[in-house]
Amino acid sequence: MQLIPSLDLLDGKVVRLTHGDFATARVYGEPEQVLDALDVPRGSRLHVVDLEGSRRGRPIESDVVRRLASRELIVQVGGGIRSLEDAQRWLDCGAQRLVVGTVAAESPALLESLVNAFGATRIIPAIDVRDGVVRTDGWERASSSSLAEIFARLESLGIDEALVTDISRDGALRGPSFTLYRELRALTRVRLIASGGVSTISDAVSLSRLGNVSGCVIGKALLEKRLDLAQAQARVATPNAIPERVIPCLDVRDGRVVKGVSFEQIRDAGDPVECAMRYETEGADELVLLDISATDRATETALDTVRRVADALFIPLTVGGGVRTIDDFRALLRAGADRVAINTAALRRPELIRECAEEFGVQAVVLSCDARGGFAAVRGGKELTDVDAVEWCVRAEQLGAGEILLTSVDRDGTSSGFDIELLRAVSSRLQIGVIASGGAGNLTHFRDAIESGGARAVLAASLFHDRVLTVGDVKQYLAAEGIPIR
Amino acid sequence: MILIDSPVANTANIARALRAAGATIELSRDPDVVARAGKLVLPGVGSFAAARAWLAQSGIDSAITTAVERNAFLLGICVGHQLLFDVSYEHGETRGLGLIRGSIRRIDGPLPVPQIGWNRVRGKEAILFDGIADGTSFYFVNSYAARDADNEIAAAEYNGRFTAAVQRERVFGVQFHPEKSSAAGLRVLRNFVQCN
Repeated sequence: MQLIPSLDLLDGKVVRLTHGDFATARVYGEPEQVLDALDVPRGSRLHVVDLEGSRRGRPIESDVVRRLASRELIVQVGGGIRSLEDAQRWLDCGAQRLVVGTVAAESPALLESLVNAFGATRIIPAIDVRDGVVRTDGWERASSSSLAEIFARLESLGIDEALVTDISRDGALRGPSFTLYRELRALTRVRLIASGGVSTISDAVSLSRLGNVSGCVIGKALLEKRLDLAQAQARVATPNAIPERVIPCLDVRDGRVVKGVSFEQIRDAGDPVECAMRYETEGADELVLLDISATDRATETALDTVRRVADALFIPLTVGGGVRTIDDFRALLRAGADRVAINTAALRRPELIRECAEEFGVQAVVLSCDARGGFAAVRGGKELTDVDAVEWCVRAEQLGAGEILLTSVDRDGTSSGFDIELLRAVSSRLQIGVIASGGAGNLTHFRDAIESGGARAVLAASLFHDRVLTVGDVKQYLAAEGIPIR
Repeated sequence: MILIDSPVANTANIARALRAAGATIELSRDPDVVARAGKLVLPGVGSFAAARAWLAQSGIDSAITTAVERNAFLLGICVGHQLLFDVSYEHGETRGLGLIRGSIRRIDGPLPVPQIGWNRVRGKEAILFDGIADGTSFYFVNSYAARDADNEIAAAEYNGRFTAAVQRERVFGVQFHPEKSSAAGLRVLRNFVQCN
């Protein structure tokens, strides 16, 4: 999948509109300056939109396109192509591909004549979709054709690639519409250039995993430096390099596995060693053991449980709950934990993260953040602080945390899905991985946490305890959805 | 089989895994015992220099060399694997045991370092990977690795290709943690246990 930087042009300058509204235009500068600042390598594909041309229905920014094409860039240009003459004019400026919108939806005859005149590989129909409905004319009108009708027409013309924008997502940094691209995968053989909402490297990686997306247009996220082009390109080159992980969680109290809704209404769910062994057999990539009694009473029982579980387990074991000091941390590692999660004590004294990372290595330090209404909660979610959850995770990485275990207390035990917005907010700010926790209720929730949320691991407790799903079910499903697992 | 009882290692976890893989093991930090061993496991976590310093100070380094000269089987795990090489460039330059040609360098790149997690391992036919499908994942925790070692039998990708396992005659090394790699990891250990 190619990453295609996008420049929207207005009055010769690079601008961004929000939701297609000209009144919201923000100016970023001269096109050449912007390209240099973004470090766009020679030979790259570049997406150029002539905004005024799109509104007026004829090419306006031909001088700029001529200058860009002379910089050894493969320019695809869109906006205002309503005739063979318009198309010829862009090609004369050095554009190599033409992005045509309104024509594809409303003038099949003209699209056909463009394909006949210039070849199907030169023509990229642009389809703007809002809530499943195709829009035309600078987003201002709805089309009478359905997605299925339009793509059937494109296929019959021999079209290879189409640019598909979910305009409700464009520029809003909420992430691309994976649902739409997946829907189209079932509908058409035409390869898609995804556009709209790509704001993180993880978005680009997830798009490339879909298999039918050949390119990804990135605008605002690049311009606002939320995403580094070179780094994104390296990740997208091998999107399946690193398997994503499925992690069952054992909430343990007084040596027994328990499970509650929103950390309350606790009920018994079995023996930790038996559960741990079953999960490893099912294919768990790691196990998290949270001693939920320990925040109230420090216990030797907790250490004993860790010892018993570690003795039976040959996958990594992360243990949390009640870690107050570096000595507590060390005791858990000695008892057999590979990594230790710290929460309340780190919020009270953030330096604890740095001290543990220096003493035991960053790989051993997991920051467990219980988020409630956007703020970090302590003492098993019972007590809310005034610390912003996202900022706290960012700080924890700086202090030396190796991974974040991010639990939405609001979603925990509800089976209503992971908090994707919270996950995106955190994962997009971090280099280290985020484990999604709280709210898993069905298979698609796990996929969405990784695909849209940018999580590097997904965690669930009651779903696995109650055998609603097995770890194997989740891994099989993720693999079928194109997400790499071990 | 002797499991070298390095203080710079997670010997307890490795001991449990070796036993689960069918080995009868003895932990030792006595150079005479190590030198006479028929089979040796060298564990290690954390800093290369610290692990190397302990080997020198305890005399275990020459004991290992002696054992290998007397045709012992040796398996290095994680930093134990790195110690088999000529040199490591972790925080300066530290000489290794020189049993495997090559150097240990930081695995910098677009992905965060350290690598923490499962990664697919691909390699050639080797006794250590007997019964394990090519592309099976193992669990890694490392910031440093060898790249394109002469004696490489398996590799993985993380910020580029790196050496995941080596073999030179009876000397083996694995960069991953077999003791944390579930059934596949136990199989690697069992393959080593059954070498003769």
